[in-house]
Amino acid sequence: MRRTTWWLLATSLGLAALLAWTARPPATLADPNGDEEEGEHAHVPAPLEYADAHMPLGVWTDQAFIARGREIYTAKCAVCHGDDGDGRGPAGAALPLKPPDLRKAGSIAEMRDNYWFWRVSEGGLVEPFKGRGSAMPAWKGELSVEDRWAVIAYQHTFSGHQGPHVPWEHPELTLVGRDIYVMACVMCHGRDGKGDGSVAGTLAPRRAPQPRDFTQTEFKFRSTPSGQLPTSADLFRTITEGVRASGGPLTFGLRGHRIMPAFNQMPVEQRLELIEYVKSLNRAYWERREITTVAVPPPPPVTPERVARGKRLYADAECLACHGERGRGDGPSAPTLKDNRNLPIAATDLTKPARFKNGSRPEDVYRTLVTGLAGTPMPSYGDSLEPDQAWDLVYYVLSLSKGGERAAGAR
Amino acid sequence: MKGVRASILGVVLVSLTAAIADEAPIAGTVKAIDAAARTVTLESTAKGKTRQVVVHLEPGARIVKFVRAAEPGKTGFVEQPLALTDLEPGWVVSVEAKHEGDKEVADTVKVVLER
Repeated sequence: MRRTTWWLLATSLGLAALLAWTARPPATLADPNGDEEEGEHAHVPAPLEYADAHMPLGVWTDQAFIARGREIYTAKCAVCHGDDGDGRGPAGAALPLKPPDLRKAGSIAEMRDNYWFWRVSEGGLVEPFKGRGSAMPAWKGELSVEDRWAVIAYQHTFSGHQGPHVPWEHPELTLVGRDIYVMACVMCHGRDGKGDGSVAGTLAPRRAPQPRDFTQTEFKFRSTPSGQLPTSADLFRTITEGVRASGGPLTFGLRGHRIMPAFNQMPVEQRLELIEYVKSLNRAYWERREITTVAVPPPPPVTPERVARGKRLYADAECLACHGERGRGDGPSAPTLKDNRNLPIAATDLTKPARFKNGSRPEDVYRTLVTGLAGTPMPSYGDSLEPDQAWDLVYYVLSLSKGGERAAGAR
Repeated sequence: MKGVRASILGVVLVSLTAAIADEAPIAGTVKAIDAAARTVTLESTAKGKTRQVVVHLEPGARIVKFVRAAEPGKTGFVEQPLALTDLEPGWVVSVEAKHEGDKEVADTVKVVLER
């Protein structure tokens, strides 16, 4: 009875979220000021490869840095954008697509730092700017990363805003993402992203997993080392693929059950906007200086010797204490496991790859081993296993399931 | 009478629009210069399509780039005249061109970026 109720609730919620989202998909090309007619600012999210480009907080108001930006701007940008940022430089005036007026505070308040960095780096060589006939040069080959940030810090001063150009100063930066969040995520993750949505407690009553608290630094699914925030690409992957579980609603287009739905049908632009809103809930995204990711080397061929070595590692690394000798999640420590909220948490049944929360492709299992799952008892083996050993263990883990060896070899 | 006036006004407006549309600037990257034929070939993208346009320069056409004013106390940019042979492939330019038959004929070429 309890299981049936849970199912009905989860399915209803999923359908309601899907209907709400389909009925009023949020706009991603808002142009209330007509800026796109006048200039070339398109209200689109920066692509994933630029999504993590956030200017460190203090730099926006660093006078030395701004002065450096001014020098570069005056030499390279003012001929089109104008000395005052009004878009009326002599060369700009001759262009079919006029440069935007960088003094328009309302318009500038909608442009995220990663959008600016992408724009300055790639210029008019990428869509949608290329198709519009933008003559903006790509500066990534001529200006260093720091120089590009310096120019952006200087051009930001044209808008008259004195503080850092961040979402908590300009809520306009993440309005589109916020709308999507309210429609698709708020029920579980809560209004403030603390994982305390109105239905969060009913998803898995008094036990893990619970919806992620976006305001904290602990994220399970990452390609970054233990203790660090995920990359935008990590968040994108989780939103796209959802989070698998032993129960929960089936997701169209993807096999298996998910405790968090897969939003793979949501347009990419909307997923990117959503990520920007989720990041805005945690200032640490603007405080990190450098992002390191765990590289997943190309998987070696599966051999019986490799699987045998993986089996020995499985015992040596004490995986069996939680996951059990045969990988069924029934090790001696399993009943005592708790997550960081002190909620009981089950050890994953390794014989059922469809339930692996972080994915069951060989590279997914490798990443889980090396990064661990923050906030759960699953540790990171990044420091204790060499890449080759990690692959041995991956192949052994995948061999524990019926189709595991096939899955391990499927490339 | 009112109808005639409205018609004339309509024709004038349409003609004016067509004339303005016919003289749209073209911005693009210089791909080739033919000093003898006085043509510049540009690679230009508009409405999602990249195309090569051969622009014919009128006799006496101006070719300019913008440089900072050298006179003390003056700021801003001033035009510096160039010869056609000064242009180089790779530069980004904007031309004021109009259709003449099947040709694009320009009276001004402005250098946007030298690279």
